[in-house]
Amino acid sequence: MAHQAHAYHMVDPSPWPLTGAVAALLMTSGLAIWFHYNSIVLMTLGTVLLLLTMYQWWRDIVREGTFQGHHTPPVQKGLRYGMILFITSEVFFFLGFFWAFYHSSLAPTPELGGCWPPTGITTLDPFEVPLLNTAVLLASGVTVTWAHHSIMEGERKQAIQSLTLTILLGFYFTFLQGMEYYEAPFTIADGVYGSTFFVATGFHGLHVIIGSTFLAVCLLRQIQYHFTSEHHFGFEAAAWYWHFVDVVWLFLYISIYWWGS
Amino acid sequence: MSETIEEKIKSYRTAPFDARFPNTNQTRNCFQNYLDYHRCNKALSATDQDVAPCDWYQRVYKSLCPMSWVSKWDEAIESGSFPGKI
Repeated sequence: MAHQAHAYHMVDPSPWPLTGAVAALLMTSGLAIWFHYNSIVLMTLGTVLLLLTMYQWWRDIVREGTFQGHHTPPVQKGLRYGMILFITSEVFFFLGFFWAFYHSSLAPTPELGGCWPPTGITTLDPFEVPLLNTAVLLASGVTVTWAHHSIMEGERKQAIQSLTLTILLGFYFTFLQGMEYYEAPFTIADGVYGSTFFVATGFHGLHVIIGSTFLAVCLLRQIQYHFTSEHHFGFEAAAWYWHFVDVVWLFLYISIYWWGS
Repeated sequence: MSETIEEKIKSYRTAPFDARFPNTNQTRNCFQNYLDYHRCNKALSATDQDVAPCDWYQRVYKSLCPMSWVSKWDEAIESGSFPGKI
């Protein structure tokens, strides 16, 4: 037929799901090869393929939505559901690491000295850099909301400024956390304390980097006039993700840094 | 609770029910009494008192704890690497 008689998006055939799956295979088997045969070739190849897949797949989505008009209201609704479901799955991901932390810290074993923090662990002072990190992320939550309102009100310059500020705050957090990791008096190998601390905060830091990247892409798109005051779901998705990252940090701060010290 | 501690130690048969540790996993019961024995010794000998009452804790942990744990902890105390606060 000449044109579709519905508002949904029947996506054109695309190679990116396949390249993404191949990348996942190469990365995982590459990890095993690295562990056992001291070669990073396969894993690196997989990572490169993954980065290329992400870039091209998301580029195509921007083309389909922003330039070709396929993201009608029902399509956008589906994208919203998708982002919410994804973030929900991430919530469960972090829930597991919080479960591990509380399992070990609520009933500390004799090997740890029957106490938490375990004997021999000097914890970080929650009122030093960790508190600054909390302020940085909370501030970035404010600036991203400012950016959203700027976009909705058609304030182009303010949107660019506040989005840039949000990203800078994200970088600042990552920098501060990197310094904390370098200076910490304990490592990931220091018993269950080290394990729970670095796995939980480490995955959080990775999500900060991912979120900052997502926001940076939105900044580039905002500069290139992709967003309208009515339709800017890519930005909203990035903002949701950023708020999620902030909330995870708050739980980490209260549980691991403060209560656990 | 009207017996003296000497009477209780003399009529000791096995570790009594301790409501602080009501569940099947008695690890903490064993560890706590081990800690309390050593803390009791340390506290009473610091003020030059008779450490005999501390024997209660020793009876309890010897009844409850696996012998391998006790010898491991005793060695740790001797080498200075025991993680518990005494």
